[in-house]
Amino acid sequence: MSVYQENFFTRGPSPLARVVFFAIVSIGVMIADHRFQALGWMRSVVSAMISPIETALAWPGQASRAVGLYFAGQHQLVEENRTLKTELLELAAARAQADQLKSENRQLLALRGEGDRFADQGQIAEIVRDARNPFARKIIIDRGSRHGIAAGRAVIDGAGVVGQVTAVGLMTSEVTLTTEKDHSVPVMVVRNGLRALAVGAGREGTLEVPFIPLGADIQVGDMLVTSGIDGTYPAGLAVATVSAVDKNPADSFARIVAVPVASASSHRRVKVFTQAELHDYPRPDVPEAADPGGKSGKPPRRGPAAPEARK
Amino acid sequence: MHMDLSPASREPMRPPAPAKLVIGSFAAGLLLNLLPWSGWALLVKPDFVLMVLIYWAMHESRNVGQGWGFVLGLIMDVADSVLLGQHALAYVGAVYLTQLVRLRLFQLSVLEQALHIGLILAVAQGVNVLLNLSVGRDFPGFLLALSPVLGAALWPPLHFIAIQPRLRQRDVVTLMR
Repeated sequence: MSVYQENFFTRGPSPLARVVFFAIVSIGVMIADHRFQALGWMRSVVSAMISPIETALAWPGQASRAVGLYFAGQHQLVEENRTLKTELLELAAARAQADQLKSENRQLLALRGEGDRFADQGQIAEIVRDARNPFARKIIIDRGSRHGIAAGRAVIDGAGVVGQVTAVGLMTSEVTLTTEKDHSVPVMVVRNGLRALAVGAGREGTLEVPFIPLGADIQVGDMLVTSGIDGTYPAGLAVATVSAVDKNPADSFARIVAVPVASASSHRRVKVFTQAELHDYPRPDVPEAADPGGKSGKPPRRGPAAPEARK
Repeated sequence: MHMDLSPASREPMRPPAPAKLVIGSFAAGLLLNLLPWSGWALLVKPDFVLMVLIYWAMHESRNVGQGWGFVLGLIMDVADSVLLGQHALAYVGAVYLTQLVRLRLFQLSVLEQALHIGLILAVAQGVNVLLNLSVGRDFPGFLLALSPVLGAALWPPLHFIAIQPRLRQRDVVTLMR
Protein backbone atom coordinates (compact mmCIF):
# COMPACT_ATOMS: atom_id res chain seq x y z
CA MET A 1 0.00 0.00 0.00
CA SER A 2 2.64 2.48 1.07
CA VAL A 3 4.56 1.73 -2.11
CA TYR A 4 1.91 3.36 -4.21
CA GLN A 5 1.38 6.38 -2.00
CA GLU A 6 5.03 7.18 -1.52
CA ASN A 7 5.66 8.11 -5.12
CA PHE A 8 2.29 9.62 -5.83
CA PHE A 9 3.44 13.20 -6.09
CA THR A 10 7.18 13.29 -5.54
CA ARG A 11 8.80 11.94 -8.64
CA GLY A 12 12.09 13.79 -8.72
CA PRO A 13 13.50 15.34 -11.87
CA SER A 14 11.65 14.70 -15.12
CA PRO A 15 12.88 11.88 -17.41
CA LEU A 16 14.10 14.49 -19.89
CA ALA A 17 16.16 16.24 -17.22
CA ARG A 18 17.58 12.91 -16.15
CA VAL A 19 18.51 11.79 -19.63
CA VAL A 20 20.26 15.08 -20.31
CA PHE A 21 22.17 14.76 -17.03
CA PHE A 22 23.25 11.15 -17.68
CA ALA A 23 24.14 11.90 -21.31
CA ILE A 24 26.42 14.71 -20.20
CA VAL A 25 28.04 12.47 -17.57
CA SER A 26 28.48 9.65 -20.12
CA ILE A 27 30.09 11.96 -22.62
CA GLY A 28 32.34 13.29 -19.86
CA VAL A 29 33.37 9.74 -19.01
CA MET A 30 34.04 9.00 -22.67
CA ILE A 31 36.26 12.05 -23.03
CA ALA A 32 38.10 11.22 -19.81
CA ASP A 33 38.66 7.68 -21.07
CA HIS A 34 39.48 8.39 -24.70
CA ARG A 35 41.50 11.59 -24.46
CA PHE A 36 43.14 11.34 -21.07
CA GLN A 37 43.04 7.61 -20.26
CA ALA A 38 42.04 8.78 -16.79
CA LEU A 39 39.77 5.97 -15.72
CA GLY A 40 42.14 3.03 -15.72
CA TRP A 41 41.56 2.37 -12.04
CA MET A 42 37.84 2.00 -12.64
CA ARG A 43 38.48 -0.46 -15.45
CA SER A 44 40.80 -2.57 -13.33
CA VAL A 45 38.39 -2.64 -10.36
CA VAL A 46 35.38 -3.71 -12.41
CA SER A 47 37.35 -6.13 -14.57
CA ALA A 48 38.81 -7.79 -11.47
CA MET A 49 35.22 -8.53 -10.43
CA ILE A 50 34.08 -9.65 -13.87
CA SER A 51 37.00 -11.71 -15.13
CA PRO A 52 36.51 -14.74 -12.80
CA ILE A 53 32.93 -14.98 -14.12
CA GLU A 54 34.17 -14.74 -17.69
CA THR A 55 36.75 -17.43 -17.06
CA ALA A 56 34.06 -19.67 -15.63
CA LEU A 57 31.83 -19.01 -18.64
CA ALA A 58 34.63 -19.72 -21.10
CA TRP A 59 35.43 -22.97 -19.31
CA PRO A 60 32.87 -25.25 -21.02
CA GLY A 61 34.26 -24.31 -24.43
CA GLN A 62 37.82 -24.95 -23.32
CA ALA A 63 36.83 -28.21 -21.67
CA SER A 64 35.08 -29.44 -24.80
CA ARG A 65 38.16 -28.61 -26.85
CA ALA A 66 40.31 -30.50 -24.35
CA VAL A 67 37.98 -33.49 -24.56
CA GLY A 68 38.04 -33.31 -28.35
CA LEU A 69 41.83 -33.27 -28.23
CA TYR A 70 41.82 -36.29 -25.95
CA PHE A 71 39.77 -38.27 -28.42
CA ALA A 72 41.77 -37.14 -31.44
CA GLY A 73 42.62 -40.12 -33.58
CA GLN A 74 45.78 -42.06 -32.79
CA HIS A 75 46.70 -42.00 -36.47
CA GLN A 76 46.40 -38.22 -36.58
CA LEU A 77 48.58 -37.81 -33.50
CA VAL A 78 51.28 -40.09 -34.85
CA GLU A 79 51.23 -38.21 -38.14
CA GLU A 80 51.45 -34.87 -36.35
CA ASN A 81 54.25 -36.14 -34.16
CA ARG A 82 56.22 -37.22 -37.20
CA THR A 83 55.83 -33.87 -38.96
CA LEU A 84 56.80 -32.03 -35.80
CA LYS A 85 59.91 -34.15 -35.37
CA THR A 86 60.95 -33.55 -38.96
CA GLU A 87 60.37 -29.86 -38.45
CA LEU A 88 62.41 -29.97 -35.25
CA LEU A 89 65.34 -31.56 -37.05
CA GLU A 90 65.23 -28.98 -39.77
CA LEU A 91 64.94 -26.17 -37.26
CA ALA A 92 67.80 -27.49 -35.13
CA ALA A 93 70.34 -26.68 -37.82
CA ALA A 94 68.78 -23.33 -38.52
CA ARG A 95 68.73 -22.59 -34.81
CA ALA A 96 72.42 -23.32 -34.41
CA GLN A 97 73.21 -21.02 -37.30
CA ALA A 98 70.88 -18.38 -35.94
CA ASP A 99 72.53 -18.54 -32.53
CA GLN A 100 75.92 -18.07 -34.08
CA LEU A 101 74.73 -15.22 -36.28
CA LYS A 102 73.03 -13.63 -33.31
CA SER A 103 76.15 -13.61 -31.18
CA GLU A 104 78.17 -12.35 -34.12
CA ASN A 105 75.62 -9.65 -34.74
CA ARG A 106 75.59 -8.73 -31.07
CA GLN A 107 79.34 -8.28 -31.07
CA LEU A 108 79.21 -6.16 -34.21
CA LEU A 109 76.42 -4.04 -32.79
CA ALA A 110 78.33 -3.67 -29.55
CA LEU A 111 81.33 -2.45 -31.51
CA ARG A 112 79.12 0.27 -32.95
CA GLY A 113 77.74 1.03 -29.51
CA GLU A 114 74.24 -0.13 -30.30
CA GLY A 115 71.95 -2.13 -28.12
CA ASP A 116 70.46 -5.51 -28.73
CA ARG A 117 67.40 -5.68 -30.92
CA PHE A 118 66.75 -9.37 -30.56
CA ALA A 119 64.91 -11.05 -27.76
CA ASP A 120 64.02 -14.58 -26.93
CA GLN A 121 62.81 -14.59 -23.36
CA GLY A 122 59.11 -14.97 -22.97
CA GLN A 123 56.32 -17.08 -21.63
CA ILE A 124 53.68 -19.20 -23.24
CA ALA A 125 50.07 -18.11 -22.86
CA GLU A 126 46.82 -19.57 -24.04
CA ILE A 127 44.20 -17.64 -25.97
CA VAL A 128 41.03 -17.68 -23.88
CA ARG A 129 38.65 -16.00 -26.30
CA ASP A 130 38.17 -13.09 -28.65
CA ALA A 131 37.37 -9.76 -27.06
CA ARG A 132 33.64 -9.09 -27.34
CA ASN A 133 34.02 -5.89 -29.27
CA PRO A 134 33.02 -6.14 -32.92
CA PHE A 135 34.73 -2.83 -33.65
CA ALA A 136 38.18 -3.91 -32.52
CA ARG A 137 40.49 -6.81 -33.26
CA LYS A 138 41.62 -8.06 -29.90
CA ILE A 139 42.04 -11.36 -28.11
CA ILE A 140 42.23 -12.27 -24.44
CA ILE A 141 45.06 -14.46 -23.12
CA ASP A 142 45.27 -16.25 -19.79
CA ARG A 143 48.30 -14.42 -18.41
CA GLY A 144 48.12 -11.17 -16.50
CA SER A 145 50.07 -8.88 -14.22
CA ARG A 146 50.35 -11.80 -11.79
CA HIS A 147 52.57 -13.52 -14.34
CA GLY A 148 54.62 -10.46 -15.10
CA ILE A 149 52.86 -9.41 -18.27
CA ALA A 150 52.92 -5.69 -18.93
CA ALA A 151 51.34 -3.50 -21.56
CA GLY A 152 53.40 -3.08 -24.70
CA ARG A 153 54.89 -6.58 -24.81
CA ALA A 154 55.03 -8.27 -28.18
CA VAL A 155 53.04 -11.47 -28.75
CA ILE A 156 53.89 -14.11 -31.36
CA ASP A 157 52.56 -17.49 -32.37
CA GLY A 158 54.25 -20.33 -34.22
CA ALA A 159 54.29 -18.39 -37.47
CA GLY A 160 54.98 -14.79 -36.51
CA VAL A 161 53.79 -11.62 -34.81
CA VAL A 162 50.25 -11.77 -33.46
CA GLY A 163 50.15 -8.36 -31.85
CA GLN A 164 50.90 -6.47 -28.72
CA VAL A 165 49.59 -6.53 -25.14
CA THR A 166 47.47 -3.42 -24.67
CA ALA A 167 45.66 -3.94 -21.38
CA VAL A 168 46.61 -6.10 -18.44
CA GLY A 169 44.31 -7.52 -15.82
CA LEU A 170 45.30 -9.60 -12.84
CA MET A 171 44.95 -13.00 -14.53
CA THR A 172 44.22 -12.10 -18.14
CA SER A 173 45.52 -9.62 -20.69
CA GLU A 174 44.16 -8.11 -23.82
CA VAL A 175 46.23 -8.42 -26.98
CA THR A 176 45.58 -6.07 -29.87
CA LEU A 177 46.18 -7.87 -33.14
CA THR A 178 48.36 -6.43 -35.87
CA THR A 179 45.26 -6.30 -38.07
CA GLU A 180 43.55 -3.79 -35.75
CA LYS A 181 42.83 -0.60 -37.64
CA ASP A 182 45.71 1.89 -37.42
CA HIS A 183 47.87 -0.47 -35.37
CA SER A 184 51.30 -0.32 -36.92
CA VAL A 185 54.38 -2.51 -36.75
CA PRO A 186 57.76 -1.31 -37.98
CA VAL A 187 58.94 -3.85 -40.52
CA MET A 188 61.58 -4.36 -43.13
CA VAL A 189 61.71 -6.37 -46.31
CA VAL A 190 63.90 -9.42 -45.76
CA ARG A 191 65.17 -9.41 -49.33
CA ASN A 192 66.69 -5.93 -49.29
CA GLY A 193 66.24 -4.43 -45.85
CA LEU A 194 63.77 -1.78 -47.01
CA ARG A 195 62.15 -0.21 -43.94
CA ALA A 196 58.38 0.17 -43.83
CA LEU A 197 55.33 0.12 -41.61
CA ALA A 198 52.72 -2.62 -41.59
CA VAL A 199 49.44 -1.02 -40.61
CA GLY A 200 46.29 -2.93 -39.72
CA ALA A 201 43.30 -2.42 -41.99
CA GLY A 202 40.65 -3.42 -39.46
CA ARG A 203 39.86 -6.60 -41.37
CA GLU A 204 40.99 -10.13 -40.84
CA GLY A 205 44.02 -11.14 -42.85
CA THR A 206 44.92 -7.74 -44.27
CA LEU A 207 47.75 -5.34 -43.54
CA GLU A 208 48.59 -2.22 -45.48
CA VAL A 209 52.07 -0.92 -46.13
CA PRO A 210 51.75 2.84 -46.57
CA PHE A 211 54.24 5.53 -47.56
CA ILE A 212 56.35 3.39 -49.88
CA PRO A 213 57.51 5.49 -52.85
CA LEU A 214 56.58 4.25 -56.31
CA GLY A 215 60.19 3.56 -57.15
CA ALA A 216 60.90 1.41 -54.11
CA ASP A 217 61.93 -2.18 -54.65
CA ILE A 218 59.10 -4.21 -53.17
CA GLN A 219 57.42 -7.15 -54.87
CA VAL A 220 54.57 -9.55 -54.36
CA GLY A 221 55.83 -12.40 -52.19
CA ASP A 222 58.31 -10.31 -50.23
CA MET A 223 58.56 -11.31 -46.59
CA LEU A 224 58.17 -8.55 -44.02
CA VAL A 225 59.86 -9.01 -40.63
CA THR A 226 60.00 -6.71 -37.64
CA SER A 227 62.84 -4.26 -37.86
CA GLY A 228 63.08 -3.77 -34.11
CA ILE A 229 63.58 -0.04 -34.33
CA ASP A 230 60.56 0.80 -32.20
CA GLY A 231 61.79 -0.97 -29.10
CA THR A 232 58.47 -2.83 -28.77
CA TYR A 233 58.78 -5.67 -31.23
CA PRO A 234 62.05 -7.60 -31.17
CA ALA A 235 63.77 -7.64 -34.53
CA GLY A 236 63.50 -10.46 -37.03
CA LEU A 237 60.01 -11.78 -36.31
CA ALA A 238 57.92 -12.63 -39.35
CA VAL A 239 54.95 -10.29 -39.78
CA ALA A 240 53.43 -10.61 -43.22
CA THR A 241 53.88 -11.51 -46.87
CA VAL A 242 53.25 -8.89 -49.52
CA SER A 243 50.24 -9.98 -51.54
CA ALA A 244 49.57 -7.06 -53.84
CA VAL A 245 51.56 -4.11 -55.09
CA ASP A 246 49.72 -1.45 -57.03
CA LYS A 247 51.99 1.25 -58.42
CA ASN A 248 49.67 3.80 -59.93
CA PRO A 249 51.66 6.74 -61.34
CA ALA A 250 48.82 9.07 -60.37
CA ASP A 251 49.53 8.51 -56.66
CA SER A 252 52.63 9.51 -54.80
CA PHE A 253 52.88 6.22 -52.96
CA ALA A 254 52.43 2.62 -53.96
CA ARG A 255 49.38 0.78 -52.64
CA ILE A 256 50.73 -2.32 -50.96
CA VAL A 257 48.70 -5.01 -49.24
CA ALA A 258 50.19 -7.79 -47.15
CA VAL A 259 48.80 -10.91 -45.54
CA PRO A 260 49.86 -11.50 -41.92
CA VAL A 261 51.59 -14.83 -41.35
CA ALA A 262 50.26 -15.26 -37.82
CA SER A 263 46.65 -16.07 -37.34
CA ALA A 264 45.10 -15.80 -33.92
CA SER A 265 42.07 -17.75 -35.02
CA SER A 266 44.00 -20.92 -35.81
CA HIS A 267 46.45 -21.03 -32.90
CA ARG A 268 45.48 -21.54 -29.29
CA ARG A 269 48.85 -20.77 -27.75
CA VAL A 270 51.05 -17.74 -28.10
CA LYS A 271 54.32 -16.50 -26.68
CA VAL A 272 54.53 -13.20 -24.85
CA PHE A 273 57.95 -11.59 -24.69
CA THR A 274 58.93 -10.52 -21.22
CA GLN A 275 61.87 -8.30 -21.97
CA ALA A 276 60.76 -4.83 -21.11
CA GLU A 277 63.13 -2.63 -23.01
CA LEU A 278 64.87 -4.00 -26.05
CA HIS A 279 67.09 -1.10 -26.72
CA ASP A 280 67.38 2.55 -25.96
CA TYR A 281 65.92 5.11 -28.27
CA PRO A 282 68.55 7.31 -29.83
CA ARG A 283 69.09 10.22 -27.53
CA PRO A 284 69.92 13.74 -28.64
CA ASP A 285 73.34 14.86 -27.54
CA VAL A 286 72.51 16.84 -24.45
CA PRO A 287 75.45 18.51 -22.74
CA GLU A 288 76.17 16.60 -19.57
CA ALA A 289 76.94 19.84 -17.72
CA ALA A 290 73.25 20.64 -17.61
CA ASP A 291 72.76 17.73 -15.26
CA PRO A 292 75.48 17.87 -12.64
CA GLY A 293 73.80 15.43 -10.29
CA GLY A 294 73.70 12.86 -13.06
CA LYS A 295 70.32 11.64 -11.85
CA SER A 296 68.39 11.75 -15.06
CA GLY A 297 69.44 10.04 -18.23
CA LYS A 298 71.93 7.26 -18.56
CA PRO A 299 75.38 8.00 -19.88
CA PRO A 300 75.47 7.61 -23.65
CA ARG A 301 76.40 4.12 -24.70
CA ARG A 302 79.77 4.00 -26.27
CA GLY A 303 82.15 1.14 -26.73
CA PRO A 304 81.69 -2.55 -26.43
CA ALA A 305 81.12 -2.56 -22.67
CA ALA A 306 77.89 -0.60 -22.82
CA PRO A 307 75.14 -3.11 -23.63
CA GLU A 308 74.36 -5.20 -20.58
CA ALA A 309 74.22 -8.91 -20.92
CA ARG A 310 70.70 -9.58 -21.98
CA LYS A 311 70.76 -13.24 -22.63
CA MET B 1 -9.44 -10.08 -11.62
CA HIS B 2 -7.42 -6.89 -11.48
CA MET B 3 -8.77 -3.48 -10.69
CA ASP B 4 -8.26 -0.71 -13.19
CA LEU B 5 -7.82 2.20 -10.83
CA SER B 6 -5.54 4.49 -12.76
CA PRO B 7 -7.35 6.69 -15.23
CA ALA B 8 -4.21 7.59 -17.14
CA SER B 9 -3.29 4.14 -18.33
CA ARG B 10 -4.45 0.60 -18.68
CA GLU B 11 -1.42 -0.60 -16.79
CA PRO B 12 -2.50 -3.65 -14.85
CA MET B 13 -2.03 -3.02 -11.18
CA ARG B 14 0.48 -5.52 -9.93
CA PRO B 15 2.45 -5.74 -6.77
CA PRO B 16 6.01 -4.59 -7.35
CA ALA B 17 8.35 -7.31 -8.56
CA PRO B 18 10.50 -8.74 -5.79
CA ALA B 19 14.00 -7.29 -5.66
CA LYS B 20 15.41 -10.81 -6.01
CA LEU B 21 13.69 -11.22 -9.36
CA VAL B 22 14.98 -7.88 -10.65
CA ILE B 23 18.56 -8.46 -9.50
CA GLY B 24 18.49 -12.09 -10.60
CA SER B 25 17.29 -11.19 -14.08
CA PHE B 26 20.03 -8.60 -14.47
CA ALA B 27 22.58 -11.18 -13.35
CA ALA B 28 21.20 -13.64 -15.91
CA GLY B 29 21.36 -11.00 -18.65
CA LEU B 30 24.93 -10.14 -17.69
CA LEU B 31 25.96 -13.81 -17.77
CA LEU B 32 24.47 -14.21 -21.23
CA ASN B 33 26.32 -11.10 -22.40
CA LEU B 34 29.59 -12.34 -20.89
CA LEU B 35 29.57 -15.63 -22.79
CA PRO B 36 32.58 -15.89 -25.09
CA TRP B 37 30.80 -14.60 -28.19
CA SER B 38 32.94 -14.19 -31.26
CA GLY B 39 32.78 -13.85 -35.01
CA TRP B 40 29.37 -13.39 -36.59
CA ALA B 41 27.58 -14.48 -33.40
CA LEU B 42 29.04 -11.41 -31.69
CA LEU B 43 27.54 -9.16 -34.35
CA VAL B 44 24.16 -10.82 -34.31
CA LYS B 45 23.61 -11.43 -30.61
CA PRO B 46 21.04 -9.19 -28.95
CA ASP B 47 22.10 -7.21 -25.90
CA PHE B 48 20.50 -9.26 -23.13
CA VAL B 49 21.29 -6.79 -20.36
CA LEU B 50 19.63 -4.00 -22.31
CA MET B 51 16.54 -6.13 -22.92
CA VAL B 52 16.16 -6.91 -19.22
CA LEU B 53 16.74 -3.23 -18.48
CA ILE B 54 14.01 -2.17 -20.90
CA TYR B 55 11.66 -4.74 -19.43
CA TRP B 56 12.08 -3.42 -15.90
CA ALA B 57 12.10 0.21 -17.02
CA MET B 58 8.66 -0.56 -18.43
CA HIS B 59 7.24 -2.70 -15.66
CA GLU B 60 9.06 -1.33 -12.61
CA SER B 61 9.42 2.27 -13.69
CA ARG B 62 9.48 3.51 -10.09
CA ASN B 63 12.51 1.47 -9.14
CA VAL B 64 14.48 0.83 -12.33
CA GLY B 65 15.38 3.91 -14.27
CA GLN B 66 18.19 5.70 -16.03
CA GLY B 67 20.58 5.38 -13.08
CA TRP B 68 20.49 1.60 -13.50
CA GLY B 69 21.10 2.04 -17.20
CA PHE B 70 24.13 4.19 -16.54
CA VAL B 71 25.74 1.79 -14.04
CA LEU B 72 25.00 -1.34 -16.09
CA GLY B 73 26.32 0.44 -19.17
CA LEU B 74 29.62 1.18 -17.45
CA ILE B 75 29.88 -2.47 -16.39
CA MET B 76 29.31 -3.62 -19.97
CA ASP B 77 31.88 -1.11 -21.22
CA VAL B 78 34.53 -2.65 -19.01
CA ALA B 79 33.43 -6.21 -19.73
CA ASP B 80 33.62 -5.69 -23.49
CA SER B 81 36.73 -3.51 -23.13
CA VAL B 82 35.29 -0.70 -25.20
CA LEU B 83 35.29 3.06 -24.78
CA LEU B 84 34.07 3.79 -21.24
CA GLY B 85 30.66 5.47 -21.28
CA GLN B 86 29.63 4.10 -24.65
CA HIS B 87 27.13 1.51 -23.43
CA ALA B 88 26.19 3.84 -20.57
CA LEU B 89 24.98 6.49 -23.02
CA ALA B 90 23.17 3.92 -25.17
CA TYR B 91 21.44 2.32 -22.17
CA VAL B 92 20.39 5.64 -20.63
CA GLY B 93 18.95 6.69 -23.98
CA ALA B 94 17.10 3.38 -24.33
CA VAL B 95 15.61 3.71 -20.84
CA TYR B 96 14.51 7.25 -21.65
CA LEU B 97 12.76 6.10 -24.82
CA THR B 98 11.10 3.30 -22.85
CA GLN B 99 9.89 5.80 -20.27
CA LEU B 100 8.44 7.93 -23.04
CA VAL B 101 6.41 5.12 -24.62
CA ARG B 102 5.74 2.82 -21.68
CA LEU B 103 2.15 3.93 -21.13
CA ARG B 104 1.45 3.25 -24.79
CA LEU B 105 3.21 -0.12 -24.59
CA PHE B 106 0.80 -1.34 -21.94
CA GLN B 107 -2.09 -0.86 -24.37
CA LEU B 108 -0.48 -3.08 -26.97
CA SER B 109 -0.21 -6.81 -27.40
CA VAL B 110 3.14 -8.42 -26.70
CA LEU B 111 3.88 -8.76 -30.42
CA GLU B 112 3.20 -5.08 -31.00
CA GLN B 113 5.37 -4.29 -28.00
CA ALA B 114 8.17 -6.31 -29.59
CA LEU B 115 8.18 -3.94 -32.58
CA HIS B 116 8.65 -0.96 -30.29
CA ILE B 117 11.37 -2.76 -28.34
CA GLY B 118 13.16 -3.60 -31.58
CA LEU B 119 13.20 0.09 -32.48
CA ILE B 120 14.55 1.06 -29.07
CA LEU B 121 17.27 -1.62 -29.35
CA ALA B 122 18.12 -0.32 -32.82
CA VAL B 123 18.48 3.23 -31.50
CA ALA B 124 20.75 2.03 -28.69
CA GLN B 125 22.87 0.12 -31.17
CA GLY B 126 22.93 3.10 -33.48
CA VAL B 127 24.40 5.16 -30.63
CA ASN B 128 27.10 2.51 -30.14
CA VAL B 129 27.95 2.36 -33.83
CA LEU B 130 28.08 6.14 -34.22
CA LEU B 131 30.33 6.51 -31.18
CA ASN B 132 32.70 3.86 -32.54
CA LEU B 133 32.78 5.39 -35.99
CA SER B 134 33.44 8.80 -34.45
CA VAL B 135 36.63 7.53 -32.81
CA GLY B 136 37.80 6.24 -36.19
CA ARG B 137 36.90 2.57 -36.13
CA ASP B 138 35.65 0.59 -39.09
CA PHE B 139 32.06 -0.52 -39.55
CA PRO B 140 32.11 -4.24 -38.79
CA GLY B 141 29.33 -5.25 -41.16
CA PHE B 142 25.61 -5.15 -41.74
CA LEU B 143 25.03 -8.32 -39.72
CA LEU B 144 24.84 -5.85 -36.82
CA ALA B 145 21.38 -4.89 -38.05
CA LEU B 146 20.13 -8.36 -37.17
CA SER B 147 20.80 -7.85 -33.48
CA PRO B 148 17.78 -5.58 -32.72
CA VAL B 149 15.62 -7.85 -34.88
CA LEU B 150 16.62 -10.87 -32.81
CA GLY B 151 16.11 -8.81 -29.67
CA ALA B 152 12.56 -8.00 -30.75
CA ALA B 153 11.96 -11.67 -31.52
CA LEU B 154 13.11 -12.55 -28.02
CA TRP B 155 10.75 -10.05 -26.39
CA PRO B 156 7.66 -12.30 -26.20
CA PRO B 157 9.61 -15.18 -24.57
CA LEU B 158 11.24 -12.73 -22.16
CA HIS B 159 7.87 -11.30 -21.31
CA PHE B 160 6.45 -14.78 -20.79
CA ILE B 161 9.33 -15.83 -18.51
CA ALA B 162 9.28 -12.61 -16.53
CA ILE B 163 5.62 -12.72 -15.64
CA GLN B 164 5.73 -16.29 -14.38
CA PRO B 165 6.80 -15.70 -10.77
CA ARG B 166 4.69 -12.60 -10.55
CA LEU B 167 1.60 -14.45 -11.65
CA ARG B 168 2.02 -16.70 -8.68
CA GLN B 169 2.47 -13.73 -6.46
CA ARG B 170 -0.77 -12.19 -7.66
CA ASP B 171 -2.61 -15.32 -6.65
CA VAL B 172 -1.32 -14.87 -3.13
CA VAL B 173 -2.60 -11.31 -3.11
CA THR B 174 -6.05 -12.38 -4.29
CA LEU B 175 -6.19 -14.99 -1.59
CA MET B 176 -5.37 -12.44 1.01
CA ARG B 177 -7.99 -9.99 -0.18
